[in-house]
Amino acid sequence: MRKTLKKLHWLDFVLIVLIGVFIAVVWVRIDGALNYKWRWDRIPNYILRWSEKDGAWVSNLLLQGFITTIRISIYSGILALILGVILGISRVSNNLTVRMLARTYLEFLRNIPPIVVIFIFYFFLSEQLIAALNIESWARGISRQEDNGIWTFFFGDMRRFPALISGVIVLALFESAFVGEIVRAGLQSVDKGQHEAALSIGMGPLNKLWFIILPQAVQKVLPPLANQFITLIKDSAIISLISVQELTFKTVELVASTRMIFEAWITTAAFYFLLCFSLSLLFRRLERSKKY
Amino acid sequence: MKLTRRLFGAALGLVAAAAIALPTSAQQTRQAVSSDSVIETIKERGVIKIGLSIFKPWSMRDLEGELIGFELDVGRKLAEDMGVEVEFIPTSWDGIIPALVSGKFDVIISGMSITAQRNLTVNFSDPYAYSGMTVLANTAMTNGFTLEDYNKPEVTFAARRGATPATVIAAMFPEANLLLFDEDGAATQEVLNGNAHATMASEPTPSTEARRYSDTLSVPFSQTFLATGESFAYRKGDPDASNFFNNWIGVNWASGWLEERNDYWFRGQEWADKVAAE
Repeated sequence: MRKTLKKLHWLDFVLIVLIGVFIAVVWVRIDGALNYKWRWDRIPNYILRWSEKDGAWVSNLLLQGFITTIRISIYSGILALILGVILGISRVSNNLTVRMLARTYLEFLRNIPPIVVIFIFYFFLSEQLIAALNIESWARGISRQEDNGIWTFFFGDMRRFPALISGVIVLALFESAFVGEIVRAGLQSVDKGQHEAALSIGMGPLNKLWFIILPQAVQKVLPPLANQFITLIKDSAIISLISVQELTFKTVELVASTRMIFEAWITTAAFYFLLCFSLSLLFRRLERSKKY
Repeated sequence: MKLTRRLFGAALGLVAAAAIALPTSAQQTRQAVSSDSVIETIKERGVIKIGLSIFKPWSMRDLEGELIGFELDVGRKLAEDMGVEVEFIPTSWDGIIPALVSGKFDVIISGMSITAQRNLTVNFSDPYAYSGMTVLANTAMTNGFTLEDYNKPEVTFAARRGATPATVIAAMFPEANLLLFDEDGAATQEVLNGNAHATMASEPTPSTEARRYSDTLSVPFSQTFLATGESFAYRKGDPDASNFFNNWIGVNWASGWLEERNDYWFRGQEWADKVAAE
């Protein structure tokens, strides 16, 4: 602590004081202009509440939404990784058709706002997909069973499963375009000599890709991939617009019901920050442990 | 010559085929209409899926995170009378009509007022509620205003986009400025902050807000302004659904059930403790 203090120049202190004053002025101005009765004491109940019926603490709106956000992020993260790797490999394929198809898919998704992609997918495609695979009645059947604990653990309320799946797929589709570009960069960064060496010991193209190229490429692109995963978590807020019951959607509901606009949104921001920041710390640590 | 004769023969055959086919196709259409009806789908599925958007006091989350409100009572009674289960699908207000049209649920019961524009996309039942709307004003900014004074270009209203209050404001105060928000709380907050003169909402919300912020907000008029009415919305081309919903609403008006529930949620305050209102 003392060492850090000693490193600071007197100008740094001036800067810190100036920033402090700026924040204070902004705060006073907001407080003056804002006619608002804060009700922070109501918020904890919407995270965890005591259930008289079960005699236990149970999650309420905000925590439920937070858990759904985590679920969606994990599933669509995995799906986006799979699609992205396929896309990245196709982008450097020797076959022109495959390359062009991959390029079309990528440019299409990358140059359209996510909200438009989401609406198109949700209103036009997902209903047909869900009807064709009969997902809805299947999910409802499970939600009616007694011992659906394991399903509920992985997917939440099974009656909302079709919406959840649509959300996961659309988010994965959208993010896969970016994952694909990251993977492509990784593949192209592998030295040409590695390709030649693999071929010279008699490996086929698939073996070469799987044993030689991909392991080296993946190692190189892990940091940007981790970063993309954090972006995915933040992007997941958009799918609240197609009524997936995640954190942002639950917050909108809470605000509409109780008019606690600022408390609810600040709490939600804290939830997102907590998740994304701890993940970024975790990734940084993993990265460091690998290097040394 | 030969060709024309053959063509003539083909045309004759076509007419004959059409003459045979048309009556059967009319019958088939009738069958198809009734079997395509959302009422049949609901019965087959054993579940009615109702789309709604949180809108106090039509529908809201209580302290336990469960849905309560006027719509919920209506939806549950409707399902009970049909002998099916009920499933409420909370949907964002922006996407509620596209979601209905693309089949995400069977019917919207969400305090949706009938407008000609919406009616071009979806069908409406007879009204199941006539919400009494009143003005919630910023006291300092509207000091000494009569009802006519609100209808001026320098007066600003705030309301939730596409909801009944917005329609009523546009009809009652065509000269005034109207700021639209996605959500009701934001509209009230604008009035509180002095960015808008007034908003409109269904009672008892304005009275509750005026009590909570008694030094800033007030309800200047004791009378309520009647809206055109709120209806169920469902997909087009479904006469069976129209018949069913209209009759259900008619029967429940006649029995007084709708009015009784309406009074409970829109006149009374008994439910206020269940929601973190104060």
